[in-house]
Amino acid sequence: MKTLKDTNSIEYTMEMVGITKTFPGVLANDDVTLRVKPGEVHGLLGENGAGKSTLMNILYGLHQQDDGDIFINGRKTRITSPRVAVDHGIGMVHQHFMLIDNLTVLENIVLGIPPEHPPFLDLNSARTRFKKITEEYQIPINPSTPVWQLPVGDKQWLEILKQLFRQAKLLILDEPTAVFAPSQVEQFFIKLRQLTEEGCAIIFISHKLDEVLEITDRITVLRDGKLIGTVTTNQTNSTELAQMMVGREVSHDRKPRPPSVEKKEVLVADNLCCMDDRNVPALRNLNLTVHTGEIVGLAGVDGNGQKELAECIAGLRQPTGGKVSIQGKPITHVTRDTSLLGYIPQDRHTIGLIEPFTVEENLVLKTFDTDPLTRRGIIRWRSIQNNADKLIDEFNVKTPSSRIPVRNLSGGNQQKVVIARELSGKPALLVASHATRGLDLGAVESVHNILLHERNQGTAVLFVSAELSEVMALSDRIAVIFNGEIMGILDAEGADINLIGELMLGHRETVLNTMQN
Amino acid sequence: MEINLAFITNWLATTLRLSAPLILVGIGGVYSERVGIFNIGMEGMMLAGALAAVAGSYFTGSLIVATLWAMAAGGILGVLHAYLTVSRRANQIVSGAAINFLALGATNMLYARLFRTVRSRVALYPIPVPESWQSIPFLGPILFSQSLIVWIALLLPFLGAWALYRTSWGLNIRAVGEYPHAVATAGLSVLRLKYTGVIISGIFAGLGGAALVLSELGYFAPGITAGRGFIVLAALVVGRWNPILVAAACLLFGAADGLQLWFQTFKSAIPYQFPLMVPYLLTILALAGLVGRVSGPKTVGKSYNPENI
Amino acid sequence: MNKPKLSSIRIPLLGELILSGGRPVIAIFLALFVSAIIIYFLGVNPIAAYTSLLKGAVGSIPGMANTCVRASPLLLGGIAVAIGFKGGLLNVGVDGQLYAGAAASTVVGLISMPVPPWLHLIITILAGFLGGALWALIPAYLRAYRGVSEVVVTLMLNYVAIYFVSWLVHEPALLFEEGASFPQSPLILPSAQLPILIGRTSLHSGIILGVVMAFLMYLLIRFTPFGFRTRMVGENPEASRYAGINVKAQTMMVLMVSGGFGGLAGAIEILGLKHRLFDMFSGGVGYEAIAVALLANANLIGVIIAAFFFGVLKAGASKMQIVVGIEASMSLIIQALAVIFVIALGLGGSRMKKRRRRSQKNITITETIEDGD
Repeated sequence: MKTLKDTNSIEYTMEMVGITKTFPGVLANDDVTLRVKPGEVHGLLGENGAGKSTLMNILYGLHQQDDGDIFINGRKTRITSPRVAVDHGIGMVHQHFMLIDNLTVLENIVLGIPPEHPPFLDLNSARTRFKKITEEYQIPINPSTPVWQLPVGDKQWLEILKQLFRQAKLLILDEPTAVFAPSQVEQFFIKLRQLTEEGCAIIFISHKLDEVLEITDRITVLRDGKLIGTVTTNQTNSTELAQMMVGREVSHDRKPRPPSVEKKEVLVADNLCCMDDRNVPALRNLNLTVHTGEIVGLAGVDGNGQKELAECIAGLRQPTGGKVSIQGKPITHVTRDTSLLGYIPQDRHTIGLIEPFTVEENLVLKTFDTDPLTRRGIIRWRSIQNNADKLIDEFNVKTPSSRIPVRNLSGGNQQKVVIARELSGKPALLVASHATRGLDLGAVESVHNILLHERNQGTAVLFVSAELSEVMALSDRIAVIFNGEIMGILDAEGADINLIGELMLGHRETVLNTMQN
Repeated sequence: MEINLAFITNWLATTLRLSAPLILVGIGGVYSERVGIFNIGMEGMMLAGALAAVAGSYFTGSLIVATLWAMAAGGILGVLHAYLTVSRRANQIVSGAAINFLALGATNMLYARLFRTVRSRVALYPIPVPESWQSIPFLGPILFSQSLIVWIALLLPFLGAWALYRTSWGLNIRAVGEYPHAVATAGLSVLRLKYTGVIISGIFAGLGGAALVLSELGYFAPGITAGRGFIVLAALVVGRWNPILVAAACLLFGAADGLQLWFQTFKSAIPYQFPLMVPYLLTILALAGLVGRVSGPKTVGKSYNPENI
Repeated sequence: MNKPKLSSIRIPLLGELILSGGRPVIAIFLALFVSAIIIYFLGVNPIAAYTSLLKGAVGSIPGMANTCVRASPLLLGGIAVAIGFKGGLLNVGVDGQLYAGAAASTVVGLISMPVPPWLHLIITILAGFLGGALWALIPAYLRAYRGVSEVVVTLMLNYVAIYFVSWLVHEPALLFEEGASFPQSPLILPSAQLPILIGRTSLHSGIILGVVMAFLMYLLIRFTPFGFRTRMVGENPEASRYAGINVKAQTMMVLMVSGGFGGLAGAIEILGLKHRLFDMFSGGVGYEAIAVALLANANLIGVIIAAFFFGVLKAGASKMQIVVGIEASMSLIIQALAVIFVIALGLGGSRMKKRRRRSQKNITITETIEDGD
């Protein structure tokens, strides 16, 4: 662990005090305070929607806070735009690359920097400075390469170099290691320490607990827009942090299981391999089975292949090896057979629902051309309405009418519409991907009850979630996914959360050792 | 009907003359699409510029005034297009089409009221070289007989390319059509860049209109642009949104136009319509990926919403 | 927070029309108002001008006939564009499809067939539809399967079509009429000509065809699985893919159907009005059809009203010129202003939506338009 740099007169290089920010319908930051010391690596932890991005966007001038103040080196500052932020030495590296693929590395570097001899674009002096920085940090990137040619790891470095080029003294890194392989992360951390030794302070946003524990000096945790606390890294551990992030005690409040039914295999993923959108392997020889009348929870940190697995099961993604089948039927393309599969995608807004369509229309996206909704080629709206009334009642969807656009419903009710549709055909397998993300507690409770009800009826359920406590409360068995492989499958009854946490981080050997002792 | 030197000389001279308006419009078009705004209204902007140029020449006799009026007419329509597509986030095709109707209707009306009874031709752009040079073989008729505006049209692409590739402003222009959010996070004003690009395209389209009527014709006729604003859209694709290559494409299209005129006059075996089709077919082939990879600025046609990332 | 806006009353067709018509109606009023100001500054009483316009358009039998005749191709073209909108496509190529359909139906109209006349007519009309649909084949394929924007491709094909037809009617090509003073095809056979509705006028049954087609397409979109799929893909292709729809095939079909209607628009001009194919017989109807669809908010019944509005403007304009001296091109200005106001009022009710298409590479333009809620 590195020691904190000596501070002279300024205790904090940056302070955000009492920041509050509301967006329509959402209290994104609720009286949050964050203080960063010079030369420290300060971790910012929180689940999706906790308010980390909003807070940083405020610091970088992309949004203005509704309430609260920002102090830079002790002086109160209003950061009205990214330009102002940059002038104060703040640099932000976003989660999504803000790089222009068709331009060269150097052009991306100088974009937005006022030229020295306007209007000429003087790339030569920029090139010299760039080369100096790349040599100093030993990051071999050719300034003349078009950005689209760069491998993903280099693009991440380029983003950081952009900020260093602008002499940033406070670097905000938003999920910087998302694109790195484990070996690259080590290299990355070495260079980060180099940066801090030169006087840079870093805000390190991540939800990867082990990385945060390794590189940071202090950690601030946010949850649901509120500040939970700031701790010193060498005085805390992953369990404490996880609990701060998630907020609830792991509930061993498990629902009773119905008497044992004959178990048949429903979902079988056999040595499944596939690539993700960036053409990087997402699933590596993944094996998983889900039986009738059971909920298998898929636990894991976001981005370890859950999305790709769900898509392969739904037929939306082609496996590059192995196979997946439901009730023995191999899945090769998207099926509209609602008696086979119900799929609740993780992004209900963009792909689970068609927002301008009405509730009753959304309920029949897969079935509108089948009897009794369509007969002899004519859509029968009366039947569609009856179908909607039935489902609205059955799933308790709060809506004044089935004929209003679904975008007018609350998040929880929108999710219920998706669930109602997917379950309307009484599928053999239900895949629920982050089904409770962004929902309030009441809605979460409803969704859980629906899933449990389905399981009791004999449906096989694959429940994917990044919230470990939820997975543990709901599942019968828990499969842990890491880097596209199943690390282990445990019975939920009596499972040890720490064990699962280790598996989520890929520490299979540690687990095996523990289990052997 | 032999292909002799006279034919070629004539053809090349015609090519330069016909291409000049296209080139001018094209330079502006590059800037508009580079900032991500599709501008099919250049036809109307060119038309407005043409009428304004004739009016300016007629009423003041000054070609400078005529040129300025033309650029202003195009520029004003450019502001309208920018307002509708950038600030109101309207559909860029619809906005451009509406501007075309507006320009057509307005120029027809103004023409009827101002010029229908005018029989004389207005002052043209001068030829900027001494008259003796025009008798120089080959170069004489081809180059030295062209009016000033043709010379300008041949030189401006280089200026346009320099501005686009060698200034930091040009870098911003290139960037904003590719990924406006990145430009915003770099602290630049996306709105200002987009407005600038579109207004430039309006100004240059107006200038192209001036070139169309004051180069050799000396009069305006309703609908005189006859689709030239659209063919420039083809040149943008074929020229890969590079001012110099776009100008080259315009020269190519002008050559085809010159060829068809010749075919028509001399009743050749090849139907004159066929060379006329070439620019459009070429563009389709380019887009289909058959003539090299073509992809324009990534966000052309999409509206920029600062809220969405 | 998320309060529902509409009541649960079942909204009848008329109600839908009225609700989706709000913004365009305001826009039309604004356009007429601004144009009135222009007319006033030209020294003419705007009321007198508009009165003469209306008189010219609907004040007499020949006037009404003219209005309908002018509206017919705009109606069919508007249907073409509106269907494209529903499917998330912007068909700017109606002009070209029009020429293609006209050419196709001319060819078939010249062929003597051993069938009853009414059948010959139907076959000729179908040929027009097919001509337009085939003209949209290439852009449809490129858009659906290669992700190339249909806007530029259809735009380019407009000119190819115009020149192609031009070549066809010039000697010595296929359709050239021997001995004619300008390039034109021979007259089509009487059996292929659309019946005239009112004697001694030019009012041909193309208008009936248009109105019938508008209703049929409305029913198609609303009451058939094809229509539902079209709307799904038009609103959200990714969600449609997740729901198991073959988005590519659907996109292609929609654009070809749209093209077919563009072809019909051209067919009726030949079969009903001119009875022969000319060089450059259409004056930019394709672009006006976009305006028609826009004013109708892509509503297929509203297209009828919008097309008639434009028909009134065009038919009445010449009377307005004669009576009060305001040039006929004023009607173009009114049309343009109406469109400009519609899109300037944009972010109120109906919206023009732009959507990302991650599945597409070489895309230069992508637009989708949603109809009124």
